[in-house]
Amino acid sequence: MNHKTAPVEIRERLALSCDDPSRAITTLRSLPHLREVLYLSTCNRVEVLADLQDETRGIDRIKAFIFSHGNLPGEELESCLYVYRGDTATRHLFRVASSLDSMVMGEPQILGQVKEAYRMSVENGTSGLMINKLLHHAFRVAKRVRTETAIAFNAVSVSYAAVALAKKIFGGLGGKTVLLIGAGEMSELAARHLLKNGAGRIIVANRTFENAVRLAEEFQGVATGFDALEEHLKEADIVISSTGSAGFVVTADMARNALRRRKNRLLFLIDIAVPRDIDPAAGEIDNVYLYNIDHLQEIVDENLKNRLEESEKAERIVEEEVIRFAEWRNTLEVVPTIRSLKDRADAIIHGEMEKSFSWIRELREEDRERVEILVHGVVNKILHGPVTSLKEASQNDGTPVYVAAVRDLFHLDGPGSESGRQDGGKTETEEKETSS
Amino acid sequence: MIMETWLFKAALFAYLVSTAGYLVSLLVRRVSVARISTWVLFAAFAIHTLFIIGRWRLSGQGPVITLYESLSFLAWAVSGGYLVFQTMTKTRVLGAFVAPFSFLLMMATSLGLTGENVVPDILRGYWVPAHVFFTLTGEALLVLACLAGTMYLLQDHALRRKTAFRFSRYLPSLRDLDRINHLSLLWGFVFFTVGIIAGAVWAGAVWGRPWQWDPKQVFTLLAWVLYVILVHQRLAIGWKGRKAAFLSILAFAVLLFSLAGVHAFFTTVHDFF
Repeated sequence: MNHKTAPVEIRERLALSCDDPSRAITTLRSLPHLREVLYLSTCNRVEVLADLQDETRGIDRIKAFIFSHGNLPGEELESCLYVYRGDTATRHLFRVASSLDSMVMGEPQILGQVKEAYRMSVENGTSGLMINKLLHHAFRVAKRVRTETAIAFNAVSVSYAAVALAKKIFGGLGGKTVLLIGAGEMSELAARHLLKNGAGRIIVANRTFENAVRLAEEFQGVATGFDALEEHLKEADIVISSTGSAGFVVTADMARNALRRRKNRLLFLIDIAVPRDIDPAAGEIDNVYLYNIDHLQEIVDENLKNRLEESEKAERIVEEEVIRFAEWRNTLEVVPTIRSLKDRADAIIHGEMEKSFSWIRELREEDRERVEILVHGVVNKILHGPVTSLKEASQNDGTPVYVAAVRDLFHLDGPGSESGRQDGGKTETEEKETSS
Repeated sequence: MIMETWLFKAALFAYLVSTAGYLVSLLVRRVSVARISTWVLFAAFAIHTLFIIGRWRLSGQGPVITLYESLSFLAWAVSGGYLVFQTMTKTRVLGAFVAPFSFLLMMATSLGLTGENVVPDILRGYWVPAHVFFTLTGEALLVLACLAGTMYLLQDHALRRKTAFRFSRYLPSLRDLDRINHLSLLWGFVFFTVGIIAGAVWAGAVWGRPWQWDPKQVFTLLAWVLYVILVHQRLAIGWKGRKAAFLSILAFAVLLFSLAGVHAFFTTVHDFF
């Protein structure tokens, strides 16, 4: 399940009890009907990816595991779960890894989480051919999406937009000073983002000095009162203002003076307050860039629109890759037949050589080798046709007919053929169940 | 001569590939393509350097006497200047302006390179190559200052209009652009000034007086005065950003007129071929 299907109350309960993934994977490993399994748990999703021997019973087992794990009654949870099979499951995994299924589309963490889940699965020995191949494919898809679309480029929250703008102005944020005027959730978030992106120093100004001190401690910055504001405008490169003041806290004259004293170094003003804190006229000054909350919101809206366009591109990439993966999986169905065909041929060669052992023995060493090469050459030439046809058929729905024909013609299922049908075929029971 | 022709063609081709690469990188939005284009431009620059050295040794009269040699040298200097900035600041998008510029200059060069240019006697000696070398290097840097200034104004405009236009994501930050503008202005101005002095010394020697109110000289002086003002405003007054960018474009427009336009509208003593 994920953030779309399950309310936060259920997600948090499951996440809480699932936060030890190694325990979960050990439990899953012991379940019957599962060949391979991967367990992914993040704050917004809990998913189980499995290659099943028995589809219905396997799914029931996984569901039971989720119910008991989350300590939730089945009926309540049932509606939050989704189950995907075959190509739909492949598509879902690719979309998750490329962050198309994330709450904030394009966020980069999910790929790391999927990689971690895969590592867990490998370490616990629950991954096999199918999961290895599928996950590596998923990582490739995620990379394609990241490099071929601009999905991860745009800032879709006000504080990200502020950071992106600051980078456009200053290049890197290293060594830049942030002046935070007033307090508020949004301005603190923006300040935090700026610091995380390399801003060097923070000055907190507040009408009540105590509040400034409290906030400055949190950011490990300097606290100041409003009276020293002009002084600090000189030092600051980025100013974020969000006070409850009715008038302008920063006037155009203040900005002009500050700019003169800072020798025209660029100044980036962000006004998050309503009513506004910074005189719009300040934005007309050379080398001053003023953005208010509406401007930032506009950028965010625009980016959201772009992201939607880019996500369509990304979906097309995912679709392409789902088809590619399906092609590979289809060849998997004919692989056992091809293998038994080759085994059969080898067995025949071996048997015939044995029969003629008496005269072959008489030959010189090099002639013996020549005979072997000749025999193998003839057999390979003969098998080349059927093997190629099988591989081609696997890509155009002809698989069952061809597999049956080849098995019949070469007596692959008759007595004496050691690789029977039981390990062949049915790999398409790969199953994905997601629940969070 | 054959060797040189090959070097020239190889350099021209590399400039073309680099130009195409930069333009494609803008269209498909892939940094990797632009990165390759930078390497190709670097290769073009290296081959071009060999070509200039080869020609210098062959003619034995300085690499930058004839008009076509000068064009080729200008392309070389602009590319070199850009490559230096590219390693200092990550401003790859500038290459999308520089590579086509160098390529077009090289195309113009190719028109006249094969014809033997007879160098008039008054252009012999060391002052002329020195004059051409310094003025062209200076002008190449001033071209970069103008390009960076143009990009600065575009980025500034986008930031003030509050909505990003399609390509603004590829523009470097204001700070980087201002730094490029600043540095290439200072160095360009120094080279340009030395070049003018060398020219004046030479003119004093062959014409008897260093200055004669020739239209070419007047417009060059006008451009030089504009650059003096700009350097002064930047260093002493602390101009940054928009005003400086605008003035660097204006000054370059005057300089461009003195380089190319003067010959069309006036007769000048600076015509030698």
